[in-house]
Amino acid sequence: MHWLLDAWIGTQTWLFETFVSPVLFHFNLMEWFDDAFDAVEFFMLGVVQILVIALLMRPLEKRRPMENVKNRRLPAVDRVYTVLSKLGVVPLVVFVIAYPITNEIELQMRGLGIAPPRIESLMPWLHDHPLVTFLIYFALYDFAAYWIHRAQHGFSWWWALHSLHHSQREVTAWTDDRNHVLDSLLVTLVLVIFSQSVGVQPGDYVSILMVGRLIESWSHANVDLGFGRIGDRLLVGPRFHRLHHALGTPAEPRIYDHNYALVFPLWDMLFGTARYDRKARPMGVEDPAIDADNDLGWLGQQVAGFRRFAAAILPRLAG
Amino acid sequence: MKKFAFALLALSASVTTAQAESIIVLNSEDASYSILDRATRMEVQRLPLGREPHHLILTPNGKEVLLASTFTNELVALDTRTLERRYVVRDIIDPYQLGFSPDGKWMVTAANRLDHVDIYQTDGYKLAGRIFLDSIPSHIAFDAASRTTFVTLQESGRVAALDLATQTIKWNVEVGKAPAGIVMLPDDKRLLVALTGEESVLTVDPKDGSVIGRLPTGKAAHNFRVKDNRYYFLSNRVGSTVSLIDTQEMKVVASIKVPGGPDDMDITPDGKELWVTQRFLRRIAIIDIAEMKMIGSVRVGKSPHGLIILKTDPAAVPNKLRSASIEPSPK
Ligand SMILES: [Zn+2]
Repeated sequence: MHWLLDAWIGTQTWLFETFVSPVLFHFNLMEWFDDAFDAVEFFMLGVVQILVIALLMRPLEKRRPMENVKNRRLPAVDRVYTVLSKLGVVPLVVFVIAYPITNEIELQMRGLGIAPPRIESLMPWLHDHPLVTFLIYFALYDFAAYWIHRAQHGFSWWWALHSLHHSQREVTAWTDDRNHVLDSLLVTLVLVIFSQSVGVQPGDYVSILMVGRLIESWSHANVDLGFGRIGDRLLVGPRFHRLHHALGTPAEPRIYDHNYALVFPLWDMLFGTARYDRKARPMGVEDPAIDADNDLGWLGQQVAGFRRFAAAILPRLAG
Repeated sequence: MKKFAFALLALSASVTTAQAESIIVLNSEDASYSILDRATRMEVQRLPLGREPHHLILTPNGKEVLLASTFTNELVALDTRTLERRYVVRDIIDPYQLGFSPDGKWMVTAANRLDHVDIYQTDGYKLAGRIFLDSIPSHIAFDAASRTTFVTLQESGRVAALDLATQTIKWNVEVGKAPAGIVMLPDDKRLLVALTGEESVLTVDPKDGSVIGRLPTGKAAHNFRVKDNRYYFLSNRVGSTVSLIDTQEMKVVASIKVPGGPDDMDITPDGKELWVTQRFLRRIAIIDIAEMKMIGSVRVGKSPHGLIILKTDPAAVPNKLRSASIEPSPK
C-alpha cells in the first residue's frame, strides 16, 4: 500500500508545484499555500470519482438497468454538473462565498477559547481504533445531511431549489451532482457549521467526501442490484434512493418524501421515512413547471431554479 | 506484571546504548506527533495530539518540550529524556509559533489565525499582555537582553517589535511580501527576515525596523535554523531548496534540493545531519551537512511541520507511550 500512497502524494505534489504554487507565488497569495495543496487532492479525488462512474457504474447501468431508458439525451446535462462539481469549479465558488462566514464563526469561537471536543478526547480508547472513529464522524455527518435533506423537501423555498435535482427523468450515476449552486451553498454552509461544532476536522473530510460521494453516485445509478436484505438496510443503494426520485402519482403522491438518507438508511428507519420495495417507477417531478428543466441546459436550469426560489421567497418577504 | 515490565526494560537497556536520539515531529493535519529514531531512521510511534499542532519548543530549563496544538489551545509537555507526557498547559489561545526570551522569563506566542501576539510570564504561564496586530503573525525572535520580541506579520508584509515588560509596540514597519522566518544574529545588531512572497532574505535593523540589506536566496524563503554563530540554514518553500547562508559575508554558500515544500529544520547533536520537514510529501528529509547532500527520508503523518531532535534515554522511554490520561497542568 505504501507505493500507492507515495504515488498519490507524488502526483499531488507534482501538480501543485507545476501548476498551483507558481500562481500563488506570483500573485502574492502565499497565505493560501498549504490550503491550496489540499485543494489539489480534492481535485484528484474528483478525477478518481469520475473514472469510477464512467468505467464501473455506467457499464453496470447498461447491463442491468432498473428501468428502460426512454430518452438518452437527458443525462447529458448531469455530466456537466458532475464535471463542474467533482473537478472543483462549483466547490470553489461555494468556498469563496461560504469561507468568510464559516471563518468568522470559527474565529469568534476560537477567540472565546471554545474548541469543540473531539469524540476521542471523551472516549480515549477510540485513539486505537481509527476505523471506528471514522465511522462515528461519518455517521454524524450523514445524520446532519439527512435532516438537511428533509428541510430541502419541507420548506417550499428550499424545495424550489432542490426540485432541480429531482426534475431529471433519466436518473443515472451522473445525477448526484445535479444541484442548484445556491442549494449547494446552503447545504455546505449548514454542514460546515455542524462539522465545526462537533469537531470534524479537515483531515476527516477527505475520506468522508470520497466514500460518501461514491456511495451517493452509486445510489443514483440505474442498476437493479442490491446488497441483500440486510445490506440494503445498512447502506443506501439504487433501489432505496431511486424510490426517492420517483414521480408522484395520484396513487403515490409525493412518494419522493421517503428515503432521504444519503449513506445510512438507519435515519429513515429511525424517523419513519423508510420505504422498501423493488417496483420500477418513472422518475421526475409531476409539476410541469419543474419538469420543464429537462428541456434546458446547465445555465437555463440554474436560472429557472433561481426564478422558482425567488417566487417562493418573495411573497414571504412581501407578506 | 510490573516486575516483569521492569525486567524487560532493564534487558532492553543492557542491549542498547545508554543514549539515543529521538526526533519529535508534529503532523499538523493528522492531529498527531511522530517519534522517530535517528539511528534506524524509522518512525517508532505515532501518538494523538490536539487538533492542528504546528510548532514545539524546549522549556528554558530544557527538561520538557512543549507541543502546541493551535485549535485546542493547549501545550502538551513531554519529558525530554523519557518522552512521557508530564502535564498540559491549557488556555494558551491559538499557539501557532512560540518562543522563550533568552533569560527564560517570557514566553511569546503568535496567534496565526486570531491576529494577536500574547506575552506570558513563563512562571505559571500567566498572560501578561495581548497585542492585536494586522495580520497573520507568524515567526518570533528576541534581542539578547530579553527586552524586545520581534514578530513577522505575513499578510501585511510587516515586522513588529514589542516591548516585553510593558507589552507595547515599539515599531511596526513594512518590509516586503509575506515575511516569515526571523532570527536575531549573535551580534544582536541584525535581524534576518525570510520573505516567503519573494526570493530573498532581508537584513533588518532591530532598532527601528529599517531594511539594511537584501540577499537573493530561493523562491519563497521561509524558515531559519542556526548552524553555528556564522552559518544559518534557510528553507525555500516554492523553490524546494535549503540554502546555507554565511551571515558574515552575507552570501549563500551552498544550496541543496529538498522536494516537497521544505519547512522546519533541526540539527543532530553531533552536528552531522540536518532533518527537514517535507510538508507535502509527508516525510522528513535527512541531509548530510558536510556533503550538503540529501541521504534519506522518513515517512511520517500528514503535513509534518515542527520538529525537534532530542537526546533520550532508551532505557527510560516506554515501549508504548500513553496516549490518554494526561495529568492536569501545574498552574
Ligand atoms: Zn431529495
